[in-house]
Amino acid sequence: MITAANLELRKRVEKLRALPSSPAVLKPLLELLRQPADNISLERVVQLVSYEKTIAAQLLRIANSPLYGRASPAESIQAAISTLGIQRIEDILVGNCIGNLIPHDKWVVDPGVFWRHSFGCALVCREFAERIAYPDIEKAYLAGLLHDIGIIVNSLAYTEDYRAVLAAAVQTGRPLDEQEQETLGFTHCDSGVLLAKTWQLPAAIAEVIEWHHDVTRGPQGNALIAIVHLGDLLCRLRGLGYGYEEWRAIDLQADAAWVELAKHLPKIADIDLARFTLDLDAYVVRITSLVDEIFSPA
Amino acid sequence: MPVETQKFSPTAPKKMEEHDPVYLKIRDVVYQACGIYHSEEKLYLLSGACKRRMPNTKASDARQYLELLGAPATRPVEMRELLNEITIGETCLFRSPPQLAALQNVVLPELIAARSKIGLRKLKIWSAGCSTGEEPYTLSMFLLEQSEKLLRGWAFEITATDLNDRSIETAKAGIYGDYALRNTSEHFKRKYFKSVEGEKLQVREEVKAPITFSRLNLSDDSKMLFVKSMDLIFCCNVLIYFDVASKRRVISHFYSGLQAPGYFFMGPAESLYQVSDQFRLVHLPGTTTYVKALPGSTGASVAGASKS
Repeated sequence: MITAANLELRKRVEKLRALPSSPAVLKPLLELLRQPADNISLERVVQLVSYEKTIAAQLLRIANSPLYGRASPAESIQAAISTLGIQRIEDILVGNCIGNLIPHDKWVVDPGVFWRHSFGCALVCREFAERIAYPDIEKAYLAGLLHDIGIIVNSLAYTEDYRAVLAAAVQTGRPLDEQEQETLGFTHCDSGVLLAKTWQLPAAIAEVIEWHHDVTRGPQGNALIAIVHLGDLLCRLRGLGYGYEEWRAIDLQADAAWVELAKHLPKIADIDLARFTLDLDAYVVRITSLVDEIFSPA
Repeated sequence: MPVETQKFSPTAPKKMEEHDPVYLKIRDVVYQACGIYHSEEKLYLLSGACKRRMPNTKASDARQYLELLGAPATRPVEMRELLNEITIGETCLFRSPPQLAALQNVVLPELIAARSKIGLRKLKIWSAGCSTGEEPYTLSMFLLEQSEKLLRGWAFEITATDLNDRSIETAKAGIYGDYALRNTSEHFKRKYFKSVEGEKLQVREEVKAPITFSRLNLSDDSKMLFVKSMDLIFCCNVLIYFDVASKRRVISHFYSGLQAPGYFFMGPAESLYQVSDQFRLVHLPGTTTYVKALPGSTGASVAGASKS
């Protein structure tokens, strides 16, 4: 449906295309992320890293941090990559090339909070996808990682209004998308999908971005939407949300997304959800240290 | 600048130590037998408990200890000893802040709305396996705090039961030292405690008044049948000592003892996986609970879940 708010949103997002820090590295990087870890060549990663000059220095700094406990300092990109592992390099690259889109004064949601939520959701989605035997777990990771890029659009294009949205949501403990709809007339799903199309993200990922808060109205046959919907909820209930608690009770197994997944992926019935939830608490620690690494001042 | 939001603080240690993979096996054995689960960042608690037990056994390393937990001859005794070791020192007042926060912000408002509809203005709470009283007193103080807010015009009563007579006696006295009070804020200490012998604090009469302490064996079916129309049941780190069949019986008593919609809280690491298909597992911020839903409604609608 085209509303005035939507039309206005479209105009503002189209302007975003002209941003100077448009991420050149993003497209090849996303293609790389789609590969199973074993297929990824080191050379390709080194090549990607060289796209953004600041990243190389950052990777060296992180690889040489006490967290990795190297005996002698890593002095080359190759050494840094083998210390950090491909997955972490990819995370750092995505965090950088998307994060650099926003000048510091335009972040509305705290960047640390945003990235903890995005990386947390990515991990949870991959883990969940694996347990229910969804065939493409790397795609689930990517979908989880990118599902909230609309929050970046809103922060950039509607900075002041969006601050008011977040403040109101924090105040009431309401879900962010409900508050966006009420105040702005659209949600980060609407703005996110516009950016996804501009960036030519894969259609399945764009659908996740558009429908992860509204599974029943989304297109049929894309299990990723339901996976990300559930992963997103779990993160928000376990300390990896938007930096505030949403005061409500959720029966995930009665959720439309769970019911939908159960029709196609019967292994979901075997999930011990209580245990899965407790396992998430270990992610919080891992994610927090990852995000601290990426975003701590050099 | 980003909008200042409430900062959550992941409390777990900064760096996770590498664990002997045998402890992952012990973790699974304990979970299967008792329903208490140690996630990666809590595994150090389990390995610590095992290491404290080992000198008292013939096991000299984790692998041998795992064998003790597996062998039919040693299993029952050693599992019980290990559980004692796991739960030792865990008990304190205000043990689970996320549980209380969820009670205040989600569960109580839900219950008040549901009970008001049928003209009730009294909440009934059961602390099953109350040990030395920390849990029922925490609930009593928490609800007293709400009596001028959410619970204005409401009454509440807490039934606190335990199998152990000596625990009940200690509970009735309501005297606690620093360790049991380590999570209790100054506000609560000043408002609800008085100083007694030594450095200890005793709960005031108004905190005791809503609580009835009694001895009860959760396996005593005839007694369990008398517990009716509860709104909230708490049973933390008690059922871990029960075998699956007894656990199922106790849980089904809890289920019938609750008025719908009613909530059943366990310890934060406990799970009813494959124990109950009546209770619905429901997520709250930072914690989980089990819900007895109204007939004909899904757990989601009872608990007020929204589309997102």
